[in-house]
Amino acid sequence: MNATLTTCPYCGTGCNFYLLSDDRGRLSGVEPAAKHPVSRGQLCIKGWNAHAFVDHPKRLKTPLIRKNGKLQPTDWQTALDLLHDKLSEIAAKEGPDSLMFLSSAKVSNEENYLLMKLARAGYGTNNIDHCARLCHSSTVTGLVETLGSGAMTNSLSCFEETELVFVIGSNTTEQHPLIGSRILQAVQRGAKLLVADSRKIRLSRHADLHLRHQNGSDVALLNGMMWQILQDGLENRAFIAQRTENFSALQHSLKAFTPDYVARITGLQPGQIIAAARQFATSDRAMIVYAMGITQHSHGVDNVRAISNLALLTGNLGRPGTGINPLRGQNNVQGACDMGALPDVYSGYQKVSDPQIREKFSTAWSVKLPETPGRMSTHAIEAAAGGELHGMLVLGENPVISDANQALVRQALGKLEFLAVIDIFLTETAQLADLVLPAACYAERDGTFTSTERRVQRGRKVIEPPGDARADWQILVALLHRCGLKNDYTAPAEIMHEIASLTPSYGGIDYSRLEGDGLQWPCPDPAHPGSPILHLEECARGKGHFSPVDYRPPGELPDAEYPLLLNTGRTAFHWHTGSMTRRSHLLDREERHAFVEVNPEDAITYQISERQQLKISSRRGSIYAATRVTDRVPSGQIFIPFHFAEAAANVLTNNLLDPESGIPEFKVCAVRIEPC
Amino acid sequence: MLKQLNRADLDLLLTQISDEYRLQVPQLLADGTRQLAGYTGEAELSLTGEVLQRKPSAFFFPQTQRLLDIDTAGAVAVPQPAEKPLALFGLNQADLAGIRFLDRFFRAAPADDAYLRQRNGALLIGLTGMAGPDNCFLSLSAGDCDIELVAVKESWLALGHSSDGEKLLQNFPEGDKTQLVRMRHLNEGTAAESDLLQQASQLLIEDRVPDQFWMEIADRCILCSGCNLVCPTCSCFCVQDRNRGEITERSRVWDSCQLDAFMREASGHNPLGTDALRTRRRIHHKLAADVERWGEFGCVACGRCDRTCPTGIGMMAVAEEMVKCFGPGKP
Ligand code: SF4
Ligand code: SF4
Repeated sequence: MNATLTTCPYCGTGCNFYLLSDDRGRLSGVEPAAKHPVSRGQLCIKGWNAHAFVDHPKRLKTPLIRKNGKLQPTDWQTALDLLHDKLSEIAAKEGPDSLMFLSSAKVSNEENYLLMKLARAGYGTNNIDHCARLCHSSTVTGLVETLGSGAMTNSLSCFEETELVFVIGSNTTEQHPLIGSRILQAVQRGAKLLVADSRKIRLSRHADLHLRHQNGSDVALLNGMMWQILQDGLENRAFIAQRTENFSALQHSLKAFTPDYVARITGLQPGQIIAAARQFATSDRAMIVYAMGITQHSHGVDNVRAISNLALLTGNLGRPGTGINPLRGQNNVQGACDMGALPDVYSGYQKVSDPQIREKFSTAWSVKLPETPGRMSTHAIEAAAGGELHGMLVLGENPVISDANQALVRQALGKLEFLAVIDIFLTETAQLADLVLPAACYAERDGTFTSTERRVQRGRKVIEPPGDARADWQILVALLHRCGLKNDYTAPAEIMHEIASLTPSYGGIDYSRLEGDGLQWPCPDPAHPGSPILHLEECARGKGHFSPVDYRPPGELPDAEYPLLLNTGRTAFHWHTGSMTRRSHLLDREERHAFVEVNPEDAITYQISERQQLKISSRRGSIYAATRVTDRVPSGQIFIPFHFAEAAANVLTNNLLDPESGIPEFKVCAVRIEPC
Repeated sequence: MLKQLNRADLDLLLTQISDEYRLQVPQLLADGTRQLAGYTGEAELSLTGEVLQRKPSAFFFPQTQRLLDIDTAGAVAVPQPAEKPLALFGLNQADLAGIRFLDRFFRAAPADDAYLRQRNGALLIGLTGMAGPDNCFLSLSAGDCDIELVAVKESWLALGHSSDGEKLLQNFPEGDKTQLVRMRHLNEGTAAESDLLQQASQLLIEDRVPDQFWMEIADRCILCSGCNLVCPTCSCFCVQDRNRGEITERSRVWDSCQLDAFMREASGHNPLGTDALRTRRRIHHKLAADVERWGEFGCVACGRCDRTCPTGIGMMAVAEEMVKCFGPGKP
């Protein structure tokens, strides 16, 4: 039995474990790394089963080309030539900006870097994005404005020092289990816990205060808390004076948000809002933890601004046990952002629109670079549906299941002249492609991943990929070669040299330094020890900027025709579109079928019983799923996890986008249900 | 038989064993995890330290284990045992007790051939005495191994507990009996953990732990399944079939009674349908049901579930809380 240390492929927590393999090159299990600072000998259920999908018979093993309407095996040479020819042909015919590149938060930093280089330097477009658009684009936009950096400000070890954790819009024990467990341990040792979530999540059972505010009323709640803090004089005046700007505008903006007014919007009692404000503001060290409940709204950026305002108002920044802690979802979604798989920035958030920056990359890559920022992935789908996009390369993403309004996504992809997908399974998106390239999975290639606490860590190759499948970076190098760009990288470590040379926050990252616990960026030079906490003396942008926000209701609220609110999310046992977890025996067995959570009161109203099939319809489509009667959801709301292709929640969801971050409103739309 | 080995003798013994066995020895892996790994003669041994991370019984009953291959004609092929049997070195008293527990379960009729394919002929080598972290004392074994090496100052007392073990030790020098007496003396003061388990067990058998307690503990469970997966006496598995065209591979994989689907029936009904019931079962099974069935606890006090439980509700933690709430002196 061989044991190879690597990083978990699922969530952004960044646990490390040993993959166990036998002499025939098959994985046989997982053992948590005992001394790693994040995993500490522990894993969640997904981590314990991370070996299970790798050997699945349905892994893609050869490139596939669509011929006579069917995907048929081909060889790499033919496949890569076709891919390059098609992309070049479309770029020549329709202009480079008629192409779109979707990168992935599941592939390594090196691979994200190469794809963004390929899109920009190889095919001449800034049209590159990835699934952070659907999860934390609101965070990146909001926190860059208020603090100057869009990342989690503190470290996971801070949960050991905090006095209060305020969890808003994060089902932490299910979605970041090993962060959820740290919160539970903090509670055990006496820290306070405030939970704001319309669902009765596990954390709420341990909360000093559980605020079940209406989905989409977060701005009102947060503004209301701040109104009360000012009313009580509990703001941190020294911090405000020394480290922030624009405070008077904030004060002014909060005037209307009295507890009574906020209670009407949120559905809470005024006393709950007052109590939350006081508990939060009287703690010396408070951490705010948030995730998709905050970001996935048509006012997601405003939600993030409100969170930032609350932290600045109370001075909960730049110290251990405090901070604004957006929990990043995928194991490398932080890294994919850091590497510039985004339409407006190169690696390290260096702006495409800045001529000096462009010049720097242009010189390094010896090629002229496009000037205008590219399209966001959500806008790209709209553009494709409108016939403005012609070719798309998707690396390890499955927008058919993961994006809002599936009918629109299918229509958009169907209209493309050419769609190529690189993936490990024939996902629902790959099934629509003209060309499918088989990739190595995390256990079959080297690379680095950056966790939610900005920890850059190694992923290590343990076994060979199945059949002819290749590491994504090798596929990308073959395309760089066809574009006439540098392509002599022999290993991801060499790609990291190039990244470090062009990316200030990764300047000191080198494989030789990543053998131990990894390094937390910013790590600007080879001697720098990394940065567990951001904004220590001052914020990345200088002063912390108060960014006042007003409450805007969600775009589509329940009405007479569609009387229930649909909330979407995930379960503890599946990962996103399920392509890996639904092929892992224990995880699949635990949640095999699509379900919909219905409150007992609504079950009576609609005369529905446990496990009964329901037809759920929104203005965009219908799906069928089995009822789960539970008071986890409040009356008037139903919840559906989006993992299940056969009953995809995103058939129903609304592709109304936040005007700044382009994130869809996954957490609110109007539906009706019919027993069947 | 009592022998005494210095470091050179130990290396010689291991080399000899590795000629005939697939020898696994304690090593420190990349991040400092202490775990059994294949003996190469070169990698440094970790001769003192914390409990081995992967439970050693995983060599006999691994997380994924191929049971058989079935072809389209219905012919069944069973994996062949490896050429050389396994030898596991570095097992502490609890590791050995865990293997003894599993042996009894899997050897009971009808014997489990997949387990026995790995287990039969395997050599177990205990490492006890001053071999804990910072050379602290580890309990002596119950003699349930082939060889027991009792660490004393800069050498090891070697006991042969089986004929295979004695044969391997025969050419080494005689051991110092007074040192062994001293070690046995130390061994007498190490019953604290089993006292705690004894009290907790009594509370369960007398049915003095209310449902509310289990609800509160279960609220803290994040359903990672780790407590079961690391437990050396847990023997539950489920069966996975993978169809690769011509061949269907049937394997078994570790299961966990903390999962809802563990007992869920096809209708969807689940007799263990709440986290509280499942948490109660996890503890009750080991401290009450096993006592009734086997006459001993199903917990060997290895400490692994307490280390791997992300929220601090492993066996010892729960037993402690139970005794604190309902133990002697409580109403
Ligand atoms: S908490 Fe996240 S990183 Fe850790 S084992 Fe679970 S999925 Fe993997
Ligand atoms: S290890 Fe702890 S959290 Fe995990 S299943 Fe067991 S009791 Fe629950």
